[in-house]
Amino acid sequence: MIAFILRRFLAMIPLIFGITLLAFALMSLAPGDFLTPVRAQRDVPPELIDAIEKSFGLDQAWYVQYVKWLGNVFSGNLGHSWTYKLPVTDLIGQRLWATFLLSLSAFSFAWCLAIPLGVLTAIYRGSLLDRVVSFLAYSALSIPEFFLALLLVFFAAQTGLFPLGGATSIDYDYMSLSEQFWDRARHLVLPTLALSIGSIASILRIMRANFLDVMAADFVRTARAKGLSAVRVNALHVTRNALNPLISSFGFAFSGLLSGALMVEIVLQYPGLGQLMYQSILREDQFVVLASVMLGCVMLVLGNLIADILLAWSDPRIRLEKKQ
Amino acid sequence: MLPPFPYPQVKCLLAALSALWLLACGGPPEPEAPALVVQPIPADALSVQQPVGVPGATLIETVAGDLATFNPLVNESATGSAVIGRLLDSLVTLDPDSGEVIPNLAHTWEISEDQLQYTFFLRKGVCWSDGHAFTADDVVFTWNAFFAKKLDPATGQPLLDEQGRPQYRYNTRATFSQQINGQEPIIEKLDAHTVRFTTPEVYAPFLLFGGGQSILPKHALQTAFEDGSLLDQWSLETAIKQPWSLVSLNAFTLEAYRPGERMVLKRNPNYWKVDSQGQRLPYIERIITKIVQDVNSSNIAFAQGLTDIESIAPDNVAWVKRGEQAYDYKLLDMGPSSSTNFIWFNQKEVKNAAGEAAIPEHRLAWFRDARFRRAISYGIDREGIIQGVYFNRAHRLDGYVSPKRKFWYNPAIRTYPYQPQKARQLLLDMGFQDRDGRLYDAAGHPLQFSLMTNSNNGLRVEMATVFKENMAAIGVSVDLQFLDFNTLVTKISGTSDYEACMLGLGGGAPDPYAGKDILMSGGRLHFWNPQQAEPATAWEARIDELMRSIGRHTDVERRKADYFEVQAILAEQQPMIFLVSPKDFVGYRTAWHNIRPTPLGGITWNLESLWRTAEP
Repeated sequence: MIAFILRRFLAMIPLIFGITLLAFALMSLAPGDFLTPVRAQRDVPPELIDAIEKSFGLDQAWYVQYVKWLGNVFSGNLGHSWTYKLPVTDLIGQRLWATFLLSLSAFSFAWCLAIPLGVLTAIYRGSLLDRVVSFLAYSALSIPEFFLALLLVFFAAQTGLFPLGGATSIDYDYMSLSEQFWDRARHLVLPTLALSIGSIASILRIMRANFLDVMAADFVRTARAKGLSAVRVNALHVTRNALNPLISSFGFAFSGLLSGALMVEIVLQYPGLGQLMYQSILREDQFVVLASVMLGCVMLVLGNLIADILLAWSDPRIRLEKKQ
Repeated sequence: MLPPFPYPQVKCLLAALSALWLLACGGPPEPEAPALVVQPIPADALSVQQPVGVPGATLIETVAGDLATFNPLVNESATGSAVIGRLLDSLVTLDPDSGEVIPNLAHTWEISEDQLQYTFFLRKGVCWSDGHAFTADDVVFTWNAFFAKKLDPATGQPLLDEQGRPQYRYNTRATFSQQINGQEPIIEKLDAHTVRFTTPEVYAPFLLFGGGQSILPKHALQTAFEDGSLLDQWSLETAIKQPWSLVSLNAFTLEAYRPGERMVLKRNPNYWKVDSQGQRLPYIERIITKIVQDVNSSNIAFAQGLTDIESIAPDNVAWVKRGEQAYDYKLLDMGPSSSTNFIWFNQKEVKNAAGEAAIPEHRLAWFRDARFRRAISYGIDREGIIQGVYFNRAHRLDGYVSPKRKFWYNPAIRTYPYQPQKARQLLLDMGFQDRDGRLYDAAGHPLQFSLMTNSNNGLRVEMATVFKENMAAIGVSVDLQFLDFNTLVTKISGTSDYEACMLGLGGGAPDPYAGKDILMSGGRLHFWNPQQAEPATAWEARIDELMRSIGRHTDVERRKADYFEVQAILAEQQPMIFLVSPKDFVGYRTAWHNIRPTPLGGITWNLESLWRTAEP
């Protein structure tokens, strides 16, 4: 098991290498650079632009800049943000919690709702419940995330039931701890909905199909034949087997925990990592962009790794290593 | 019956998640702010002549876009300047009505006979927000930070770059913009409350540019200056964790900052202005500024009665006005803003990568002909733009200076009213021929060019479309190119491979000399032909001469006459064809008092005197 995990981590090195190289090359192909907006301002002395260009190394070819950056990364320094004059790690740290909280709440909401619904629609196949849920699931799948977010903004503006954006209210700092808790929760409702509705639909569809497959399997018939109750068969035997294929998609969902909320964060003005990344890309603040790309990449590999381990744990037939 | 829940791990996970939630709510533990020492009201306190108010109100506002730093030395954004401007202050400032230089932290100043020495007398007893005294040392520290050199560790001599210029320890905007023709002014401390600047040559804008420089606290930043981390100070990290360490000299101090969400400013208990009854200002206890994505969201928040004061974009005025009754606010028309919109033709001869001319030779010849540019200017329906694009919320612009800057605005320049017949006639006189309504030059080239502008500015895109229609009406065809802003700037300031461009400029400093990079032929932003070694035309040479004179003469009437001539030449030659200047609109809740918006100072220039009646 340990050897398997180590192999995965080693495989990550060339991956990160390739992805950051690609990101660097693409950024250098994009027109302009970090200083372009400064160049368009009227009262910036040209000497200042020269001096900053030199101190940031922008006067060098992109591959020279890349090699330098790589050298710094090996010595544990992910670089300084040009806009914020802060180490990239601090900057990401500031925003990490907000995004993590949002993704986690969307993630748990989606899974906790989709799996029971998937099971129920499979058990009561063809019923009114199944039809209504399927209809809703298909509609949810066909609405893009950002558009849903826009609809929710409109809803919030019209009804005033939910805040229009942000993660906390204006008077948050002067609230008691329990009020702070509810304030955060209230601000999470809309972004969570926007982020999770699409995945609820897809998880639900997969779960339902798997459940139906497994229900028809021989061992289920055997279990029933030996006199187990329907509830026990469905809950223990069918559900557990039907979950297997979903565990790999769990890995992908995990990789999106920190980077998947970009669109929703922007539309709903949620102060998370996605907003920071988006701003950094627009400003060509390259070290921040590179660090976020790296973060996404590491999360993807980690997510797949966790999915593999979970799969081995839930399905005894799978072995990660060949027995000697 | 269901079997007992079989996974104890899940319970642990749930417990861990709840813990995480609480952690995210509480945030990281913050070191306690040291108690503020409240010093007595300074002997030289500035007494503000406005009706006396009641202290204690909270002002709520929004700002479009987050800021990147609280450090004035590295800040490049307008949002940042506005916020930092509420914390730091300068020796002199501008009168919000007349635009004259008036006393601020310096109560008076003297200019020597030879006009090289400026002596500022600082107010006595003024303190930073932490109770530390403000003295001449702070002023000297600030200027020394700009001009500190990198030293060669072996010899102790300043290090030079390839061009023989000294290398500075901190490359800030002021390091270069406060130099006068490449030379630094000299600053001396005469006593604890007197500083003297000596400029290397007579330099008229120094009182405003030098005196208007924000002063940094020596006691708070000295260590960072010495260990080389000055530019990393006052970052967002500091603002989040130790907001109290951003020592302030203005009416407010930073109380809290949450990235992407809001910042809270608190009344500075050591502020040095008092009201007419000797009561210490400001009246406002707290300012809560919510950070929103863009101007539109900011305007929406105001229109829903969520904020107290707001600048309204001209295209939002109509619907914001509808809420005036319901939410008890008021909208005011402040007249033309200082921003300008214009078109210019590229007059620079450039080769592209393949070695061919980037602009076809015959077109370059048209662009360089003043008769051509005048004809185009006559062909533009500016009133049409004002009505169709801005719904009457803009002002016609004939010259380089917006009428908002009343003092420097030359009203007697040549104007170009909308006369399509005359435009057409001028082009025919130049030798263009009419074939079925379209114009062709003598060699048979159709009169056609491309105009670029940035795609993310909706109003500008609409203006470009109106321009295209105006041109079609006189037989000129225009190809519009809507580009990403970075691409546009690269073309303007780098490759120069474009034919015509539509762009706008914001206010800039209120001294004519601030425009030298645009107006002088060697300037970086001399849009139509930047960075010329020698002026290409006689009129550009004349503008160069006038601008140098504006820099060197302190006599206001002389400067005004020179600047009027610059405006007249620009109007005659039309290198930049000006279109419109959008109007400024401000809104405020009527519960607020002492609100006295002026075109130059906006609504917040007297923030320290604003107060509101208590909520019913």
